Order: sequence, then structure tokens, then C-alpha cells
Amino acid sequence: MADTSSDERTITGDVKVTIEHPFTEFLRMYFKNIAAVLAFICFTVIVLVAILGPLLTDLDPFRIVWMPIAPPGQDGFLLGTDSLGRSIAVQILYGARASLAVGAAAAAITLVIGLLVGSLAGYYRGWVDEALMRVTEFFQVLPPLLLSMVLVGLFSPTLQTVVFAIGVVSWTGVARLARAEFMKIRELEYVKAARSIGSKDARIIWRVILPNALPPLIVTAALTVGAAILFEAALSFLGLSDPNIVSWGKIIGDNRDYFLEAPWTVIFPGLAIFVTVLCINLIGDGLNDAFNPKLRER
Amino acid sequence: MHSALKGLLTACAVAVASTSVAIAEGSPQRGGTLNYINQLIGGHFNTNIASGTPTGLPGVQLHCALLRFDKEWQPQPHLAQSWEISNDGKKVTLNLAQNAKFHDGMPVTSEDVAFSIETIKANHPFKTMYGVVESVDTPDAHTAVLNLSKPHPAILLAMSSQLGSVLPKHVYGGDDVDIRKHPNNGEGTVGCGPFKLTEFKAGDFIIMDRFEDYFIEGRPYLDRIVYRRIAESTSRVIAMEEGQADMYAWASDPIELNRLKRTDHIEMTSDGYEAVGALQWLAFNMEREPFNDVRVRQAIAYAIDKDFILNAIMGGFAQRSAGPIHPGSIFAPEGVNPYNLDLEKANALLDEAGLPRNDDGIRFSAELDIIVNRGTFKRIAEYAKTQLREVGIDVTISVTSDIRAWIKKVSNHDFDMTIDSVFNWGDPVIGVHRTYLSTNIRPGVPWHNTQQYKNADLDALMDQASSETDLESRKALYMQIQKIIVDDAPIAYMVTSPFHTIWNKSRVGNPPIDSIWGTQVPWDNVYIKQ
Amino acid sequence: MQLLSILVQRIGYAVALLIAVIIFNFILLSLVPGDIAETLAGEAGGASPEVMEQIRKSYGLDQPFYVQLFNYVTRVLQGDLGTSYYFNVPVTELILERVGPTLLLVTTALLIAIVVGTLLGVIAAQNPNGWFSHLVTILALVGFSAPVFWTAFMLIVLFVSILGILPLTGMVNPTTESGTLKWYLEVAHHLVLPSLSLASVYVAQYSRLARASMMDILGSDYIRTARAKGLSQRKVIYKHGLRNAVIPVITIAGLQFSYIFSGAVVIETVFNWPGLGTLALDAILRSDTPTIMGILFFSALVVIVFNLLTDMACRIADPRIRSSRNA
Repeated sequence: MADTSSDERTITGDVKVTIEHPFTEFLRMYFKNIAAVLAFICFTVIVLVAILGPLLTDLDPFRIVWMPIAPPGQDGFLLGTDSLGRSIAVQILYGARASLAVGAAAAAITLVIGLLVGSLAGYYRGWVDEALMRVTEFFQVLPPLLLSMVLVGLFSPTLQTVVFAIGVVSWTGVARLARAEFMKIRELEYVKAARSIGSKDARIIWRVILPNALPPLIVTAALTVGAAILFEAALSFLGLSDPNIVSWGKIIGDNRDYFLEAPWTVIFPGLAIFVTVLCINLIGDGLNDAFNPKLRER
Repeated sequence: MHSALKGLLTACAVAVASTSVAIAEGSPQRGGTLNYINQLIGGHFNTNIASGTPTGLPGVQLHCALLRFDKEWQPQPHLAQSWEISNDGKKVTLNLAQNAKFHDGMPVTSEDVAFSIETIKANHPFKTMYGVVESVDTPDAHTAVLNLSKPHPAILLAMSSQLGSVLPKHVYGGDDVDIRKHPNNGEGTVGCGPFKLTEFKAGDFIIMDRFEDYFIEGRPYLDRIVYRRIAESTSRVIAMEEGQADMYAWASDPIELNRLKRTDHIEMTSDGYEAVGALQWLAFNMEREPFNDVRVRQAIAYAIDKDFILNAIMGGFAQRSAGPIHPGSIFAPEGVNPYNLDLEKANALLDEAGLPRNDDGIRFSAELDIIVNRGTFKRIAEYAKTQLREVGIDVTISVTSDIRAWIKKVSNHDFDMTIDSVFNWGDPVIGVHRTYLSTNIRPGVPWHNTQQYKNADLDALMDQASSETDLESRKALYMQIQKIIVDDAPIAYMVTSPFHTIWNKSRVGNPPIDSIWGTQVPWDNVYIKQ
Repeated sequence: MQLLSILVQRIGYAVALLIAVIIFNFILLSLVPGDIAETLAGEAGGASPEVMEQIRKSYGLDQPFYVQLFNYVTRVLQGDLGTSYYFNVPVTELILERVGPTLLLVTTALLIAIVVGTLLGVIAAQNPNGWFSHLVTILALVGFSAPVFWTAFMLIVLFVSILGILPLTGMVNPTTESGTLKWYLEVAHHLVLPSLSLASVYVAQYSRLARASMMDILGSDYIRTARAKGLSQRKVIYKHGLRNAVIPVITIAGLQFSYIFSGAVVIETVFNWPGLGTLALDAILRSDTPTIMGILFFSALVVIVFNLLTDMACRIADPRIRSSRNA
């Protein structure tokens, strides 16, 4: 992970005479990155489709509309039908919701656990750090997908289980990052100052250090959402997903046995995942550059 | 890494396919190796303690059974060369082959028969098979007499190879032995079947070689059977397509079947699965509202298009099943309500049952449990969910991803509806009654009357059927029984399981498909075309 | 000397971690409703309550929880992972049979990813604003954003359906005699698609990483000095830069090994590769508890050993981190 702390931020490159407000500077830097802007627009459209799409149509993604594995374009079925004769297009439209929701929820769990563990370890150090890092390492040695497969298998595949299983296995990276940031920032002058005037630990952690550690964590948060969407897709692909809710991964998992006969059942939902995750990663890149002008200039 | 790979390779090396493929029709020839593949491999070969077909298939090659059955459900002599049932139906006398020997050279005697029937009675999951046998007399070494407490129509069928073997008493030893853990069940197996065990690697392969002293002169024809497990579907297909395997039974994946059907040298049939009689159905918990209302159950049966399941999900490889008994059985249901797709009728029945639609068009919500979240089970469940939504039932599919959790849930009656696959096991007395008898509601035990179906008239009829030995009377009884069950609809019947036997027709002569037990009989007649 | 003491410390620590994994597995898997008796009853086609009680007894399930836990931990530490309910084989045997193919797949993919990734990154770093650098950036994003099974399917479309030059599934033709040249060629032929698919994600990551660290290095005093000494650009990059660019890649690869293992589960499923991944999925879908526990334990073991190795490798390669404890 590149060095992304804010305290080392220096203004280089084309020197401005006036000093900008950090947020304006952030926006200006972000908008300089055309790919990130396009990705942001594209992602917004995807989110809107996910929220509004099902409201605008009264289609049922589970409804059997035509003969099984009909190729795209035939008889008005835009993207063809799946192995049960359900419309791929409608399923992708509805699948957006589940995929994005699982991605966001799992990322939220990942961030909460990671931030808690990382900040406490980084701030208190000593035995707290030792203990928490041992726990982190413990979770790092178990292959995440394998562990989440076992968890979903144990507690039956519902949306909640899947979210939980993804969150529980993927927080270690966030924890390590948060720990590193906290360790660095806690030694800075203004934190020392806050401590010397008797501020409580909780206040120092949440009000003083956290805001300064945010930039890299925000970037990580964005990437975590993308990773969680991919994770959900992998679980669904393996058949470990809620059978009552269409997600992009589930469409692929349902039809993978028919892949050679009906490649469209796999190609289109995969494309949806790919484009969404690509947008999220581009946004993450844009954020990273905007927070770290120094890196961008290089 | 190298040594780890080696283990896998030895397994591959064992199966050396012969390459000469010459088509020669005509009489059976002696010699050759049959390469058989299966999705599963059992952990042992003792058919007297477990009913699983992966145990049975190799088990019946190693052991011999008392009788065989032909395609018309008629008993044929095997180890028992002749038999006689007394007029009151309570005494069955078996005359054993004089020259039968076990693989260790010891003669097969009536003592072994008595011992084997006792082990089945004590250990086999199907208690109805020999439940009425009170004792087995052994007047001489080659005569065994079974004393029954009452006539038993399935007593001869229970002597089929798949349902139990004649085990060597002298190998298993005295009375105090734990037969479930005996080494003779696996690697040490000594039987009197046409093949003897040469090598067994659990989970992987079995090699069986011809037993020269087999009691039928000149049989078996094959020198050797190599039974290999290939767990992956595509690998099995490729093995058959490329001629690396000669035969593959219990294939049930429509995708596999469809691909193999198009291969020239391959032939396949669903014949030989009549006795096992595997049905896929949707069962209701009749103690739960609103499934306690017969109209609701019937409505659900009407809402599901059995032909769609047959064609779109099963790829046309299964048969429709209209009642509790498999369509291939002599007792197959006739004239019962087939519940052909009729959404109007389904809606009318639900209205009648006092379950109106709410503003969202929903009458009620229910859960549908499935055993595994993949394959045809999953597809049928998702299809049922869609169809039932059409008639206003909001179905949530509940998957445990775990057969144990499913068993726990369903056997303790904690479910609304479930999709299940249940076997007939030859005679209705053995595999059908268990699902419907009100005396067989046993919490915690799977594959009993988990629907909690209670019908006193039906109980009485089944009781009558379980000691009726006249075939025509039995047929009449089962028509009556099935009509009642289908009308009460404790279960919505859908299709048979699409089991098929597949073989390379340029290599395999006399494939084991000419009996109701299909591959679950001794392959002493099978040969390799040379 | 110092290296040795760190090694000893790390090994002791790894053993403790493994015991924790065993205990965790056992507790986790005992939360499942239902038990072996029900699974076996299911496979036997039903069983009476008496028989089920018998089965429970013979598997030691009638004993108190802590006794079962203690027995399990002792058995695992002796190398006995129990017997698979489903395959009826010792789990250790099952795993050893499947670990070869998985390690072959994972290490091949990892090698491809490290070599190709580092090279792409290093080349891109020489001209950060050139078209090649942009191409690498885009490729990295694409590889990183596509679901790995989808990439695999796309490669299948190209190489199997359209070009027809690579086999679809499996590892080797089952009748080919092992150890022969033909056998090795067949395995290699089957390995191409799975390993490429799996590597795609990591090629993307590593090229980015290598590019960034190479750029750091090119700007460092150390390289400036080398250049000032009159070394050619090429020599500077490939002699001094490469070595330093590959270290962070290897470090990350070591840390990510468990993720790559995860990816292998998906890829093995797509290609029917006879490895631990397909075994794990089989075991989970059939609730074969001993096998699931065995695979979790074993994969943790592999990850720990691998981390240990990369840690040591980096310490040897780069004296600067030799002394620090948390690399």
C-alpha cells in the first residue's frame, strides 16, 4: 500500500498562489481524472437502475417467460433466457439490487470490524495490539472464501448469512491499514497536545486521530465494496447463495452447467459485475489521487 | 508434491483400457476387463446392513443372493435353485445349490443363509423385509426353512441381490460380533459371488477378478471388473465419450445424458431402475396450516406443470409419476387423478379454502425446503416457486446446504413443503407403506411418514396388503390405496428420477439391464466383445 | 544467528496458531444442527432410532463436548484428521491425494503472476506517461475488476469454443500412464487455462505494485548514485531496480497466499480440476464434517508455512528488514 498519510502532503507541481480549501482541492484533483469521473457517472446510473428499475416494471425475475436457453434477441428477449426460461435481462435488472446491497452491507461490516480492531491496536499498542494482531493473523491464515463457504454452509444460505460470512472473513486488511495509520498519527504533535490537555482516549481516537486517518480508509472502503461484490458473486457461483433472491452471481451459478450451450447466460451477468466493480475501482483510484496529489503528479 | 500426485496417478494407472474395438455380435466370449465408472463408491460391500446402491453394486458381484428377478418381476433361481411356499403362506422352504462355494473354498450351507437373514433382520434399515420371519430352520446343509408369523407378499423379493446377500458365517464368527465394523465388509470381503475382491481403495476404485469356483458353470465371462469413482460430471462424460470407460450406471444428470446421447458408440436406457423405483416429489406437512386442507394441497398439485419439469428440467430423461408407486412397477397407478396443469382450478380451490388474495395478490406465504442447492432439486424448487406465485402463494425456498440439517428439520416435522427423492425399493410393502402408514410417524427418523398423513381406512388397506399374497388381489388393493392417497394429496407427485445405465455398445455384451434391478445383480452374464 | 532465533520463534508461534485453528474448526463445525448418524442414515436409506444411537456411540458423539474436543485436537496433532463420512477414506489420505493438483495450479499461477506482473510493472515504470504504462494500468484494472470465474469462462470461449486448442476440464486423461512424457505434456496442456485464469487477478495487482515501487526506486538516491557512477539505464533497472521491485511483490504474494488459495476453489470448480477446492465444495455440500475440518486445517497449515517461507526469503533478500519483527 502506498504511503497515503495526509501529514506529509506537500504542494508540488504547478504551484498555486492562493491556498485552496482542502475540499475544493480534493474536488479539483478528482475531476482532473476523467476515468474516475466517468466511472462515477456510470456507477450512479447503476445504483439508480438498481433502486428504480424494479419499481418501474412489475416484472418478476423468477417468472418463466419463454422456452429455456433461448438465445439473445429472439422473440424480443433482449439477453435471452436461462435454463428455466426466465429472462436474463429482467434477472440482471433485479440482480443489481442484491449484488449492490450485499456489497455495501458486507463492506460496512468489514470496515466496522477492521476499524475497531485496527484503531484500538494502533492506539493502545502493547498487549492490546499483541492480542488483536494475533486475532487478525488467525483470520489471515484461513482462506477467506473457504471459511465463508463453511459459514454459509453451516447457517443456511440467506442474504444475511452471506453478508455476515463475507464481512467476517475480509476485515483483516482494513484492520492492518487502520492500525498503521493510528500508530503513525498518535505520535504526531497535535495528538500529543490533545493528550497533554487530558482528553479522553475515546475522544482522541474518534475525534482527533480518525478524521486524519480517513483519506486512506475512504479509498479502502470503496475498494472493499468492489471486493465484496466479487466475493458474493463467487459464493453464488458455487451455489452458496439465497435461492430466493436474484443476484448477478446467482444467475451465473444457476446456469454454469449450460455454459457451452448458452454462453449468454453467463456472459451478460458477468459483464454487469465486471462493469460495476470496474467503476468502483476507478472511483477508488480517483479518490486516492485526489487525496494524494503528490502521487498523481508522478 | 510429487509423492502426493503419485497417489492420484496409481489410481489412474490401474484403469488400463484395452484399445482393440472390434464389433462382433453373437455368443458371449470369455475374457476381458470391464471398466466401470460411477459417481459414488461405497465404503463397504455388506448389503445386509445398508441399502445404498453404491454399496449394493459391487456388493452383489462379490456376494451371491438367494434369488434373481426377471424383467416381469418373476423370481428366478439363483443360489436357491427351487423354493416352495406352504399353503398358509407361513413356511418358505429354499433348496440351495449343492456346489456353491465361498471365495475361501468353504461350502455355502443353510447355516450361512440363516445367519444372513438374521443379520439383515437386525441391521438393515428396511425392517419390513424379514420382520415377520420368526426363525430359520436348517434341516440339512442345503435346505433352509423360513418360519413366518404371517404370510408376507414380499418375502421372495426381499431375497433379491440388492436387498441382501448370503454371508459366510464362518468368516463373521460367533454371535457377539459387531457386524457393522467387521473387516469382511470391506477389504477382507469373502463372498460366494461371481467375482472376488482383488483390490479396494475406498473412495477411489475396486478391482474384482473372476471367481473360478463360482457355482454357475462357465460363468462369469469377464476376467475382471475395474470399478472406478469419477466424482466430476464432465470427467465421466469424457471418459465415456473417449472409450476409457465401458459402462456407467446411475447417471442422473440431464446435461450429462443429453451430451452422451449424441455419441455414436454409446447406448443408454432407463430400463433396470423399476425395482428401485426412485420418485421425485413435493411433500406437505399435513399438520401445518394451511396444508392441513386437502384443497390447498390439491391446488398446489394442479399449479405445477409436471410436463415442464419433465421436459425443461429433466431434459425428457425421466417419466411422469402420478402416484406413490413407480410407473415401472406391476402396481403402477392407473386411473388416478394426474393433476394436469390447471391454474384456474388451482385458484378456485384456494378461493374455496378461504384463502383470498391480498392487495399484492398473495394468499399466503410458505417455505419450501430442499436438500441441496444445486442440480435438478434446485431447478424444480425454483420452478415451483414461480408457478405457485401465479396462484398467489409466496414461496420462500429454504436451503440448509446440508443434508443433516434437512433431515433434522423434516423428520421433526418442522417444515411446510419439501422436495425429496424417495425410492420404492421393489415391493410396496418395503418402500411405499413406510411413507403413508399413520403408525410410521416417527419424529427424528428420515424417510418415514414425515407428512404426518393419517387415514385409518388407508392404514387398514395397507395392513391387508402387507399379508395378501395373491397377485391380482394385491394389484386391486394397490389401485384402491393409490387412489385414496392421490386424492388426499399428502404429496404432489411429479417425476421419476432420471436414472440411466450407459454403455459402450461396441465393447459390452449383455449389459445388466434385463431385470427389474438393473445393474444391482451379479454381472455373470456380461461379456466384452472381442 | 539472529535469523535462526527469529525462525525458531516464528515456528513456535505457527504451532500455536495451528492449535487455535483446530479448536476454532471444531467449535464451528459442532454448531451445525444434526450429526453423522443422520447423514449415514440418509445414505443407508433410513434407519431406526436404535441404529442411529448405535452409530452415534461408535463415532464417540455420546461423549461430552470437551472430551470430544480434546480427542480431536490430540488426534489432529498426531496427523490423524479422522475419516470422511462421505468418501469413507481417511481425510489425510484424501487431502494428500488432492493437494498435489492444487499446489501445482496455485504455484503455477503465482509464478506467472509474479514474473509477468513484475516485468509489466518495471517496463511501465520507465516511462510513466507512455502508452505502455497506460495499457498496464488499464489491464491491471480490468484484471482486478472481473470475477475470476468470468475471466475463466471468457478464456474458455476463446480457447475452447472458438479456437479449440485447449482442453476444457480435468487434469489428465485418466488412462494415460503416469510419469511418462505424454502424461506430463497432458497435465501441462490442461494446466494452461486454469492457471492463466487464476493468474489474471494477480498479474493485475502485481504489475501495479511493481510499477509503483519501481518508480520509487528510480527516484531514490541509491539509483541516482548508480546512474552517476555511469551505469547504463538498462543495467540500473535490471540489476538494481528489478531486485528491489520484486521484493514487495513477493511479500504481498506471501501475505495473499490464502486469497490465491481461495481463488483456486472457484477455478477448480470451473475446470473440474481434481484439487482441494473441488473437494472442499463437495464436502460442504454433503456436510462431510471431518473433511471440511481437515481442509480448513490443512489450508491454514499451507498458508502458515508459505508465509514463513516468504518471510524468510525476504529477510535473506533484503538485509534492511532482517532485524525488524513485523515485516
